[in-house]
Amino acid sequence: MSLLLQGYFDTNKRMPSVAEPVTIPKPFIEKRIKSDDDLAPTFYVICWDDPVNLMVYVTHVFMKIFGWNKQKAEKHMMKVHEQGKSVLVREGAEKAEFYVHQLQNYKLHATMEPAE
Amino acid sequence: MKLIKRKSETWQYELNQVESVLLKQLLKNFPFTGNVPVKISKADADPKSFEREKLLNESLAEHRKELKKQASNLISGEKLKTSEKGHLLTLNAEEREILLQILNDIRVGCWRALGEPETTEMHKPDCSAQDIARHQLMNLAGYFEHHLIGLTERETGRH
Repeated sequence: MSLLLQGYFDTNKRMPSVAEPVTIPKPFIEKRIKSDDDLAPTFYVICWDDPVNLMVYVTHVFMKIFGWNKQKAEKHMMKVHEQGKSVLVREGAEKAEFYVHQLQNYKLHATMEPAE
Repeated sequence: MKLIKRKSETWQYELNQVESVLLKQLLKNFPFTGNVPVKISKADADPKSFEREKLLNESLAEHRKELKKQASNLISGEKLKTSEKGHLLTLNAEEREILLQILNDIRVGCWRALGEPETTEMHKPDCSAQDIARHQLMNLAGYFEHHLIGLTERETGRH
């Protein structure tokens, strides 16, 4: 047996190993399960126009309750004045209710309306 | 009435004799109108609206009682002192908000009692004495609100 063939039939020699198939894990796409908070209804807190509340007062109240700067508060005040209403925030029931209470304490005409 | 000094969270206003008397009268006789129930929603689509509205109106009535208690404190000798030019009213941030709420309660309450007119000007020539009084109270409360929120002369750049 030629040396060449000897090497070929050498049983001690291992067969070239074949890599076992590797299962590549599927990319993990997180399915976000909606929590109770996500499913809970949300509300728009709306301030309505009236002829009695002073513009400077409305701006002041928005700044005080929502912590807005004067520019943002004035923007919403002008929207109330010119368009009859302004959506101030969109919140869950509890927080929307809290804001309505705060605004009503200042005697602003505020309501909470279902967002959907 | 004018804001003469603002230091951190303290506001100091100067009032003349007439303003001082009128402000005292407003606070002493607060509230001028009864509780008026308010609606929490225009849509009424939410089943919990009724309960929420009840809670809101109870809370507003309680808040009004609290304002009444605070009203006398605002015109106490400590807050409203006599000065060379008239009277000095010194308020911290919380007291200033309470006073604003009282004044606007008077203003809005009178407006509602007048039938929520489209304008706050008095147009009807045949107004009753009661309606005239309500108009006056409404405007007076607005006058004090305006000056309470107003800036100091230095802040507005006027001297």
